[in-house]
Formats: sequence, C-alpha cells, structure tokens
Amino acid sequence: METDLIIIGAGPAGYVAAIRAGQTGLKTVLIEKERTGGMCLNWGCIPTKALLESAKRLESAKHAADFGVGGIEPDRLVFDWATARNRSAAIVKKLTRGVDFLLKKNGVDVVSGEARFTDDHTVTAASRSFSAKHILIATGSIPAPPEYTVPPDRILEVRNLPDPVEIPRKLAVIGHQAYAVELAHLFRLCGHEVVLLAFHDRLIPPFDPVLATFLENRLKKDGVEIRKQPSISALDERGLHLENEIIPCEKIVHAPPRRAVIPETPFTLDRDNGFLRVDRDLRTSIPHIFAAGDVNGISELAHAASAQGLHVIDRIRELPPTDPVRLIPETLYTHPEIAQVGTTEPQLTEKGIDFKISEFSLHANGKALTEGESDGFIRVLFDPKYGEVLGVQIAAAHATDLIAEAALLMEMEGTVYDLARTIHAHPTVSEVFMESAWAAQDLPLHK
Amino acid sequence: MRYVFQFPDIGEGIHEGKILEWYVKPGAEVKTGDSLLKMETDKVVTDLPSPRSGSIAARFGKVGEVVPVGSPLVEIDIPGLDGDAAQAAAREKPLKRTEASVDEKGFGVVGTLEVAGDAARLAPSDEGVSAAVSTAPSRRKSLATPVARAMARDLNIDIAAVTGTGPAGRVTKEDIRLHQSGFPKPDGPKEVIHPPETEILPLTQMRKAIARNMALSKQTAAHMTVFEEAEVGSLIAIRERFKAGYEKKGIKLTYLPFIIQATAKALQHHPLLNSQLDLEKGQALLKKSIHIGIAVDTEEGLVVPVIRDADRKSIPALAREIQEIKEKARLRKLALADLQSGTFTVTNYGSLGGTYGVPVINYPQTAILGIGRIMTIPVVLDGAIVVGHILPLSLSVDHRLIDGGAATRFIVDVIRYLKDPLAAWLDE
Repeated sequence: METDLIIIGAGPAGYVAAIRAGQTGLKTVLIEKERTGGMCLNWGCIPTKALLESAKRLESAKHAADFGVGGIEPDRLVFDWATARNRSAAIVKKLTRGVDFLLKKNGVDVVSGEARFTDDHTVTAASRSFSAKHILIATGSIPAPPEYTVPPDRILEVRNLPDPVEIPRKLAVIGHQAYAVELAHLFRLCGHEVVLLAFHDRLIPPFDPVLATFLENRLKKDGVEIRKQPSISALDERGLHLENEIIPCEKIVHAPPRRAVIPETPFTLDRDNGFLRVDRDLRTSIPHIFAAGDVNGISELAHAASAQGLHVIDRIRELPPTDPVRLIPETLYTHPEIAQVGTTEPQLTEKGIDFKISEFSLHANGKALTEGESDGFIRVLFDPKYGEVLGVQIAAAHATDLIAEAALLMEMEGTVYDLARTIHAHPTVSEVFMESAWAAQDLPLHK
Repeated sequence: MRYVFQFPDIGEGIHEGKILEWYVKPGAEVKTGDSLLKMETDKVVTDLPSPRSGSIAARFGKVGEVVPVGSPLVEIDIPGLDGDAAQAAAREKPLKRTEASVDEKGFGVVGTLEVAGDAARLAPSDEGVSAAVSTAPSRRKSLATPVARAMARDLNIDIAAVTGTGPAGRVTKEDIRLHQSGFPKPDGPKEVIHPPETEILPLTQMRKAIARNMALSKQTAAHMTVFEEAEVGSLIAIRERFKAGYEKKGIKLTYLPFIIQATAKALQHHPLLNSQLDLEKGQALLKKSIHIGIAVDTEEGLVVPVIRDADRKSIPALAREIQEIKEKARLRKLALADLQSGTFTVTNYGSLGGTYGVPVINYPQTAILGIGRIMTIPVVLDGAIVVGHILPLSLSVDHRLIDGGAATRFIVDVIRYLKDPLAAWLDE
C-alpha cells in the first residue's frame, strides 16, 4: 500500500502527528504494537496521575477535621488500590477511545501489529506492506534493565501499577529522576513505607536545584527515607542489601532512566547514547525518516513528544522552520506539585548569562492559605537589562497548571513588566506570580 | 549635593553619541541651560545643556569617545540639595520623554529627538546623484515581542524595518539581533574578507543613520521617478537683473529660491505630494504647512535643513534663509529644530554639476524633487532653432499614494512657474 506517511508508534508523538497529518491531507498509516495512546495514556502520565489524585484525597481526608469536616477518623482511613485502579482504568479507557475516534475522524489508517522495515521506504506490519515518502519513528522508550540482581517477581515498574499486582507495605524505589520521585511520593501518601534510593546527589534533573531541594525536604517531612548513591548488591528475604545496611522491603520499584525502543532496520540509523540521532528538523541520518518523542533522546515528556510530532508534520508540509525543542514546561505531580519552564539557575550561570532572581513565597497568599496549601513559592529568573523572563520555577498545589502562564509569557518573549502589568484575579495563587514580577522591579506589594 | 548628569535615554532616537568638544572644565560654574559639551549623534550634532545650576565636580569621557546613552557625562555640585533630592530635581524635566519639549531654555533638547524624525540626511552616490532619506521612525505598528520592542528601542532600530520570523510575522529578539548584526538570515551572507589593499573606513553615526534610513525608504516606499525639462530663459534674465542688488545686501541670489518658490506654489495646488502615508490606518496625511527640506552637502554627509512655510516667503527671504542654513550646515551648527518637520524635499545636485538623478524619497515624506544643472542647448522655438536654457528635473514619488498622473500634473505646474516666475507671484 502506497501512502504519504507511515508513523510507527501511537504514543503522544505518533498519534498527535497522525491526527495533524490526517487533518492536513497526508495519507497516513499509524502502526501500533500495543495500545493507541502509548505509554503515557495507558501506563504512564494518566494512570499515575489518577492514582496520585486518590493518594492526595487520602491525604486531605486526614486533615478534614482541620477544615471543619467532622466524622472522619484518620486512623481508620485506608487506601483502596482496587477502586483507585478501576477509576484510573475508566479514565484511560475514555481517553484512548477519544484518541481512536480522532484518528478515525481524520482518516488515519491505524494498523495493529509490530512494524518491521523492509527498506528505507517500506514497512511491514500485521502481514501487510506499506510504503511511504516519509516515515516517522515514534516508538518511545522502556526502562533500562536493572544493574543489580533481583528476582523478576519482586520488581515493580511504573507499567505494572494499573495491573492488579500486590503493592507491599514496604518498598524501595530505585531511581532519582522525576518519575521515580513521583512514585516514591505516591506510595508514601498511600501509606506505604518508602525508601528512595537515588543514584545521584541531585534529584529530579533537569529541575532547578531549588525545586529539587524543596521537594527533597518535603519528601523527608512526609516520611520518605532517602539514600543517595547507594551501592545495591542484592534483594533477599531480609530486604535490599546496601553496602552498610539492609533496607527491609518486599519489592523494589525500578524507575531508572529510560532507553530508546528502536525498530530493527536493514540499514543503519545513526545513534547518540542509544537514542536515534536527529537534526533540527527531527530527521534521522536518513532524511526522509524522522524520529520524535522519547526515541530521539531530546526529552522524556509527553508534551515534548507531541510538540515534536507536530514539528515533523510541519517539516513534511515544508512550512517555515521553527525550533522543535524550545520551551518545554516540566511538571511533577507530587504534593505540592513542582513545575518549571525555561532556563534554570545553573544553566544561566554556566552560559554566563546575566540574570536576577525574584522569589515569592506562598505563605501569605490568600488562596493558598484557604486551601491549606501554602507550602511553596514562585521564582522568576529574569534578564536585568530588558526584564525578559528567562525561567520560572513553581512549587505549589497547582504548579503544573500555573506554569502554563509562564510558558505563554516566555513563548511571547514577555518581560517582568508585562507580567506585573497583567491584572491577576484575587484570590488566586497566580497573584504570587504577579507579585514576583513586582518584586523583580523592587516594587513588591505584599513583602 | 552631587548630581550626575547622564547622557539621557530618549527612547527611539539614539543609543550612543560621540563627544566632539567639552565646553566646561571641572570647577566651572554652570547655569541651567548652559552648554556642557558638543555631542554627535546619528541624528545631529548638538550641544547638551546642563539640566541644573551648580559647579562641575567631574567630567567623564574624552573628546572623540563614543558613549552609550545612560553613561555619566558630568557630575554637578548643586548647592543646597542632598543626593537623592538633587537627582530627583534634575530628573524632573530633562529626562522626561516628550514629543513637544523643544524648550526655549535649551535644556531637554536631546529629549526632543524622538520627534526629530523629519531630520534628514543626504547620501551622495557615485554618480554625484543625491537622494534624501529620513530618520523618521516608521509609524506602522509591528507585531513584536515585548523584549524585541525593548531591544529595538535600546539599539535604535526601527522595528517596522525588521523582518519578523515568529508566528504571524512577529518580530522576536533573534530577529532584532540579526537585524542589528546586518545579516538578514543566519545562513545569509558569509563573512566579508578584506583583501590587503582595502582600506577599512569606520562609519560615522551620521553615515550609519543614512544607511539605515536609505534602506528603510527604499524598502517601504514604492519609488517611481518622472524626468522633465524646464526652459528657464526668463528666470535667468530675472536673476541676472537682480543679482547685483542682492549682492550689495550680502545675499547671493541663486536659482534655488525660485525653485523653492515654484515648488511651494505647486504644492499648494497638489497637496497629495505634501503628505505622509499611513497604510496601517488606511489614510494619507496631507500637510497643511509646506516645509521644504533642502539637501546640503557637508563633509560628514548630507543634511537636510528645512525651510518652514516656504509658500509664504518672498524670494529675498528665501534667498537669505537658504544662505544662512547652508552656512550653519557647513559649520555644523544646525539645531534639531532646523532639521525637523519637513514635508517635501528638494535636492540640488545641479550645483555640483550633476544633470540627472533618481532621488530617494525622504521617508516618510512621499515626494522629492531633484534639480540638475542648467544646460545651454539648441531648442526649437516657434519653428526656429534658438539657444535654450534647459533645467533638468527628476521627481520621485511614492507610487503607493501618488500615481503617474498626479506626479506629472504636479511637475508640469512646477515647470510652469519656473518658465514664468511671474505666475508664481500672481497665481491665486
């Protein structure tokens, strides 16, 4: 079958690219070996956020009495994994159905099966052969295998969470990246005993160290134990053996950096550290073969993958060039949430860019206080010459939503003057963002 | 207490200047409005007046030094005021950005450069042909990011002249950077390699301004030029008759006053050529006053001082004024006011021996008249070949606003008044 575009992988990069391709008249085949929506929709972003929401409800129920809600006995509260999972599954079902509908609506031919390249223009899947002018590889990533010996039945991965597996009371989460920390907090909020084993001193790269430190303190306060740079030897009945201690746990949560999943090809595609090497257009070393999403190693974020997917379609349509990897908001759904966009303090320092910092705490913010969520801050890094906002970091209950304003402001190359001048509704947490812009001009109102 | 007078930031006008001469030394007493130094900017050579009375405590910057806006120039000891109050008091007026603060006291003159848009320079070309351009910032509203706007203001870049590469053509900071560096695109022209025998000539502020504004005019206005010839035998006779009399009063009677008068008179009948185009608002601004700029050659480049209300001035008045401004231009004593508000420009390359040229419009004006030298050639008059005196004329107009018909009707009127100067005096 002859088409304009073959997309391999129906995750956030692939399915979004397919919808846009269909929309703009490209004859498109989308090949997926598992489920449309990919890791994000089926096992990653959405299910974990649904579970985290359940965990946060449990947390707020514990404090219900403080808000004047009686009749709840905190000691009797339990986390019901089965119900939380069912709720999560229902959400996933609704969303994946939506994606299937959209693909159909836009005339995308969705093929279920594993894709194999015959040559650089031809791919087979489900015993059918497809050839196209352009091919987009959006096959995503999987966790790197553990470098320590643990029986497979005692390993949990983020992918297993929606399954009806038993979550033991004592857990060790191994990993230092954002999703590892998120999982550690999830289990802790659900009442499990959690030790976080981080291979690096600095948690949650590439978040600004200020956010990392804030979150680390919060995790500790909530009872997550943290061990930095442990050397893990084995897991047995007594627990996880480190150099000088044994961490009692029944299962480990394996949350390492991820590796690209690259389809087999009868030709060579250049790689960088195991990821497909791409240029600014997201073309691989064979120019009509593109790679978007986790597989190219630029970002592990779903929204970055989707943006890249759209970028590829723009390139195929020969639209004016843009930058595929500009501003990517990064979000973490801990409690409180963490979010940032733009450049971090170490990045600015390293690049030798002149900057100033304006930080404003949530402690005096009306909305944050009414919600009982006043632990956090908003930090604005800006250029002292023109006042351009260079980076924004937020720790707040709704940080992942608040960051959108910062991203828009920065996309428009906005300044602290624009931010301060924009009237923010009262009472909202977003007022803190405005305040930080006044503070940047040494004119804070509530400081 | 001490007050530091900084090179005022006056927004779109200027971002740096060259110190040409100091009038004060440390210890000198100055009064408000006294000239402190002579500064060359890309708009004009001007004296910077003191914003306050006091004594000069310190002086910053040497003659010849290029200083950015905002850098300190002098420190003035103001008796009876403490530091902050001194700064505040001094800031009240001179640093205020206003479009109408050409103030009599003299200080704050630099603050008026924002409207010095009509101040113009002429750039001679290889053929001895001149063309005028304006330093006026374009009034077209551009889509640009806040940072790009701030940078453009800071770097004295007309944002309307920058090609935007952002969504919907939005001008981004990267676009400003590329514009500033002179490269239209990242993959644009390669580095220029200078062969060893090439002399590198650093550009003056004035030359940079000319370069920018020439390009702006050519990129913006749809230039069209018409060429005509005027038989000016009677005009020559009239000038010969009165030349000596003027001479006695110290006035050199050239043809220029007659040409200005003929042009001004014709403009009264053709206001479309005395205008400015605002495409953004979809309107043309027809100017009620007729202020004619005259291109004057100077060592640094050509400047275009303005004869205000040229249509209401007599030949002697015009002759005297032309003589004065030419002298001022030569001595670099033109004030900003002398360069402002032109509504039409006349460029006389004939005085340098030139014949024809295609003048560049002094944007945002919409028309410019080029004057060649009078040629004595055979012409046919009433069926006989006689000695004729032909004045070549070139009129460039912005075809976006002015069509060929309007341009021709105007120049035919100018020719009528040049052929028959009496008509210029007697016509309604």
